[in-house]
Amino acid sequence: MGPWGFVGLAYGIVWGAIVIYLFSLKRRYQDAQTELARVELREVTASNVKT
Amino acid sequence: MAAQAPVKKKRKGILGTLALVAILIGLYWSLIAAPPDAYQGEVQRIMYLHLPSILTAYLSYFLVFIGSGMYLWKREKRDDILAHSAAEIGVLFTALTIIEGSIWGRTTWGVWWTWDARLTLTAILLLIYVGYLMLRSLIEDEDRAAVAGAVLGIIGFLDIPLIHMSVYWWRTLHQPPSILRPDKAPWENVHPTMLTALVISFIGFLLLYFYLLSLRYGLGETRAQIRARRLEQES
Repeated sequence: MGPWGFVGLAYGIVWGAIVIYLFSLKRRYQDAQTELARVELREVTASNVKT
Repeated sequence: MAAQAPVKKKRKGILGTLALVAILIGLYWSLIAAPPDAYQGEVQRIMYLHLPSILTAYLSYFLVFIGSGMYLWKREKRDDILAHSAAEIGVLFTALTIIEGSIWGRTTWGVWWTWDARLTLTAILLLIYVGYLMLRSLIEDEDRAAVAGAVLGIIGFLDIPLIHMSVYWWRTLHQPPSILRPDKAPWENVHPTMLTALVISFIGFLLLYFYLLSLRYGLGETRAQIRARRLEQES
């Protein structure tokens, strides 16, 4: 591998890993938001049943 | 609280856009505008990733240190969320630093890895914070996990001055600092174009870091809200 090959490898790994982490973070955040909405809905349903 | 959400989202969007612009400008300066190094040639361009990523990791662990200390003192959940979020991103940047360093080492030293003091201490730093994340996921009780994590987060930070000083205290293969030298200003030691590329790259990493941190902190906050609601419902 030539010098530019090593440079490309380093830049590719770094930016590839960061992009993968960014997308995984966004997916985890969306999953958590969905879960929160579900918990809130359960809360509303429970209070409606009480009243 | 609900009215603040769109404002926060807009701020995150601006930060993300600024980070992307700075990263693209940084890539131009690092790969095209900056000249090759007189001794190492093109491979030295890895420096524009290597230095910003380790400095970003140090910043991250500093925030773990601050967040952990504040949590132990005031027991406020937001400090723990900050520490936990910063630790996760710090691990990513430390791992990337080691990988970039390994590729750079292969071309300049002829080896992917050597048990040099600075490399070994950086690997220990990574292990400490991987341990921090594992410890937190293994302890079920949230408050106990936060306290144990805070103690480890503070102790782990002590490795950073050791890493910085390792090239002075021991004979190492890793070069001493070129930028953060006590005897010379950065512009006296590095070509101005190289220094510009490095500074722009670092700004890009910093903006990206704060963007990632804002997303990870938001995730931590949402999880804390879910837990609090569930506890409320159970009681």
